[in-house]
Amino acid sequence: MDRISFTFDGQEVSCAPGSSLAAALTEAGVRGFRETEKGKPRGIFCGMGVCQDCLVSVDGRPNQRACMTATAPGMTVAPQPARPALTAPPAVNRSAHRLTPRVLVVGGGAGGLSAAIAARETGAEVVLLDERKVPGGQYFKQSARPEAAPLDAQQAEGQALVARARDAGVTILPEVTVWGAFDGPEILAADPGAVYAIRPGALIVATGAYERPAMIPGWTLPGVMTVGAAQTLWRSYGTLPGARVALFGNGPLVAQVALELAEGGAEIPLLGESAPAPWRRPLASLAMMRRDPGLARKGLSMLAGLKRQGIAPRHDLRPTRIEAAPAGGLLVHYEQGRHSGRITADAVCLNYGFQPQNEILRLLDCAMTYDARFDQLRPERAPDCRTSIAGVYAVGDCCGLGGAPAAALEGRIAGRAAAGGPGPSAGEAATLARHRAFQDALWRVYDSPAPPLEEAAPETLVCRCEEVEKAALDAALSDDPHDIGALKRATRIGMGRCQGRYCAPALAGLMARRRGTPMGDLSYFAPRVPIKPVDIATITAAEALLAEETNG
Amino acid sequence: MARPDLLVVGGGITGQCAALSAARAGARVALVDLGLNAGSTANAGSLHVQMQSRFLRLNPHLAENLESSLPLYLSAVKAWEALDAELGGVELTREGGLMLAESEAQLAFLEEKAERERAKGLDVEILGHNALHRMAPWLSEEVIGAELCRDEGKLNPLVANRKMRAALERAGVEIRRDRITALEDGAAPSALGTRRHSAGQILLATAWGTSALLAGTAVHVPTPPEPLHMNITEAGAYEIHHLVQHAERPITLKQFRSGQVVIGGGWEARLSEGAGAPGIRKESLLGNVALAARIAPGIGGLRVLRTWAGYNTPVDGKATIGPLEAASRIHLALPGDAGYTLGPVVGQSAAALALGAEGPIDAAPYSPARWRG
Ligand SMILES: Cc1cc2nc3c(=O)[nH]c(=O)nc-3n(C[C@H](O)[C@H](O)[C@H](O)COP(=O)(O)OP(=O)(O)OC[C@H]3O[C@@H](n4cnc5c(N)ncnc54)[C@H](O)[C@@H]3O)c2cc1C
Ligand SMILES: Cc1cc2nc3c(=O)[nH]c(=O)nc-3n(C[C@H](O)[C@H](O)[C@H](O)COP(=O)(O)OP(=O)(O)OC[C@H]3O[C@@H](n4cnc5c(N)ncnc54)[C@H](O)[C@@H]3O)c2cc1C
Ligand code: FES
Repeated sequence: MDRISFTFDGQEVSCAPGSSLAAALTEAGVRGFRETEKGKPRGIFCGMGVCQDCLVSVDGRPNQRACMTATAPGMTVAPQPARPALTAPPAVNRSAHRLTPRVLVVGGGAGGLSAAIAARETGAEVVLLDERKVPGGQYFKQSARPEAAPLDAQQAEGQALVARARDAGVTILPEVTVWGAFDGPEILAADPGAVYAIRPGALIVATGAYERPAMIPGWTLPGVMTVGAAQTLWRSYGTLPGARVALFGNGPLVAQVALELAEGGAEIPLLGESAPAPWRRPLASLAMMRRDPGLARKGLSMLAGLKRQGIAPRHDLRPTRIEAAPAGGLLVHYEQGRHSGRITADAVCLNYGFQPQNEILRLLDCAMTYDARFDQLRPERAPDCRTSIAGVYAVGDCCGLGGAPAAALEGRIAGRAAAGGPGPSAGEAATLARHRAFQDALWRVYDSPAPPLEEAAPETLVCRCEEVEKAALDAALSDDPHDIGALKRATRIGMGRCQGRYCAPALAGLMARRRGTPMGDLSYFAPRVPIKPVDIATITAAEALLAEETNG
Repeated sequence: MARPDLLVVGGGITGQCAALSAARAGARVALVDLGLNAGSTANAGSLHVQMQSRFLRLNPHLAENLESSLPLYLSAVKAWEALDAELGGVELTREGGLMLAESEAQLAFLEEKAERERAKGLDVEILGHNALHRMAPWLSEEVIGAELCRDEGKLNPLVANRKMRAALERAGVEIRRDRITALEDGAAPSALGTRRHSAGQILLATAWGTSALLAGTAVHVPTPPEPLHMNITEAGAYEIHHLVQHAERPITLKQFRSGQVVIGGGWEARLSEGAGAPGIRKESLLGNVALAARIAPGIGGLRVLRTWAGYNTPVDGKATIGPLEAASRIHLALPGDAGYTLGPVVGQSAAALALGAEGPIDAAPYSPARWRG
């Protein structure tokens, strides 16, 4: 098919239509998209709109996320300086909409799509919105090219689910980011051309999870990205993150993506898993098989696939430092038990578990409980997935890790309940319990707690946005700050564009250990709007919409 | 420390400056703080000098208080400049403050205000369209003129609070954490919390906590907390050097050296039911930022990263400094409006009075006498 072209820093770049800017630049070999305050290059890291490290300027408008921006022919894209000039950006005309659907679903992954279908089939009018251009979420990762044939059964299943939601009459609004949540609930959201103020009868939050990195020196270098970012590049845009890709992490996703990239033609010099090999934990492995023989079989066939590709996962292995290799590319230092080694690659992928995207739930004041096993907050939920706040439901990975099958089932249960239908059947409750027991067994097999932040090397960037080193954190700790907010004000850790998404979990644990306090909602940074950085033109348009409603 | 000469209750900027100056003067000082909802950890670091139009608009009956306090603001900025040097830099700049006019009527209001302020010794000037836009190209063309007050400036309160805390430790101030619930005056005054804190003199720098503590005394100071909203953007090039306000609309806008633009100006937040920080109102977020974008379109390429809210304690717009009554060993240090600006001079003056030393200003006009009876 015809390729399109645009310019980056004055150079022409061509790509397949539908590519994100991040994918197009990666394919063109561009790694650094912007420069930080300290003059360091940054590029794609999370691939899902969370880290804010991929910022570029597009047609004179700074602070655009390359991973969430679709390419268009003739675009002028420029690397983003640390501090863009204060010039008024070109005006955009944004339409403004007040929506009052019976049910609003935020997030179009396995959980959100299933919820929307169930609510619609129960008779409710449903609006579903998702920040991505194509719904499907992390598990189904749809291709950005509508005409592309599905890569595999997983993508085909997602395609079918999206089609079912459309056929059922769900109004799907793509590219819409929720940035504000207020009592009511009232949701403020925006896409590049419109702003929305939404007051639904019921709200279903299905915002999924983002990935936990490894905080090691060099984790901010261009070319170092999350495993999910690499997976999105490949599955949604057909772009490999590099020719030679090393993956490090914990859990089945890492191996799965290694296999997908290898099948896509990448060389995988190392697949490093921090947990011991599964056969060293026979009881947990057996329990996992028993809970869901189908999924366990999928895991085994993945291992067989890796073997066919000549990839042998190495266990008990963790990266310790990443640096720019003298001859180009990246050099990763790692440790495996008492041995250490080094490897070069042109992309390095990291994933040490998941963090729920629970910002909307926390803003709306939903009661949260700390889950020590998974080191994350979970909302308190009734069997029909209702939270402690009237009219607010939560499903899927935004409630803490649960996996796609559980997300889908929770979605069906919540969607029905939110539309006024019956609660879960005994069969559904039993299936959900089995999914959860499987996750439990799975993560017993992969159990491998991350080294505590206390042990990080002094030069480690604890806050990637504000470029705060571990040494500065240690200095601030000597003043004995009494909570995470005081620590934030003293160090600037958590004040940057990612709004504390990467540092907060690590910092919350550290503070709790130091002060001997139990972990809970208050251990983390206080939730505040905006949920994601929001541009001023969006706020101006939303203000006009609400002012008009009040006056007219 | 067995029995300090001075016990400061309240560890915001006012209490910290009182404690630091007393310790530097040789007193044994303890500071006890609840560590909750200090305006000083929420504020925006504007060094205000000219009369704030917001205050004049909301409290026209208190305009006289504000006007008579203008010399105090000049001393306050001097006190901050001294602190800036002493603490090793708090990103303080004094490039002046602009109060904008979008109509002839607003400009006329500013001209009259400038006249009154000049009479009190402020360095103010009215700027026409061209002079103003040369100085501030990021402003909207709708802005036709401004009052420039060269005495005004800004600093980074995050840096100041951190360095202040370190300075207190170096000066040997003992920091205690407690909630004071009652006071005992007399020859050996005490503040009672989970324990008894006795001292030679007690100084209250407790902002919104003050009226409850004075319940049993003859002094009744209204100190209701005023929950205020703030917004901050990501960093842009450092081009906004002034502290920016408007003649008629509630806004303060400035840029930290870090490049981030801080937008506030007295938009209200929601009083929290529990003991927590106030909540955010969407009307304030939308209204405040939209107003900022209208008068300064140059910030339109930046995104808002975060909002927050905190408790201001404006009292009657005038500082309260000194003992509850002549023989009392309990002293008040309440800055009133623009309390972060005034905190150092008010804290230092109150501490000096408590220790029988000479303070930086004549505090007689700010005596608690007006609250007796
Ligand atoms: C990066 C990543 C890769 C994964 N890969 C696999 C895999 O290959 N195999 C596997 O079995 N499991 C995988 N998982 C786990 C699996 O995806 C989840 O268990 C499953 O997707 C949960 O579904 P969900 O509906 O809860 O969330 P998701 O599928 O994550 O969907 C959430 C959706 O919400 C949207 N959203 C979030 N915040 C906002 C907002 N503020 N405004 C608008 N939209 C928003 C997102 O764009 C996203 O589409 C992965 C998880 C992650 C995070
Ligand atoms: C959002 C916001 C922005 C602002 N911006 C500016 C600005 O730009 N410029 C400016 O000049 N001013 C500004 N202000 C006002 C300024 O922040 C305050 O007036 C000033 O910080 C007051 O300082 P303080 O030390 O007197 O009181 P606070 O900082 O409020 O400290 C009072 C302390 O006393 C403690 N306390 C109270 N009761 C008790 C008790 N019973 N026992 C023990 N401890 C107790 C509290 O916990 C607190 O730590 C702003 C205020 C807000 C809320
Ligand atoms: S890579 Fe685009 S936001 Fe993280």
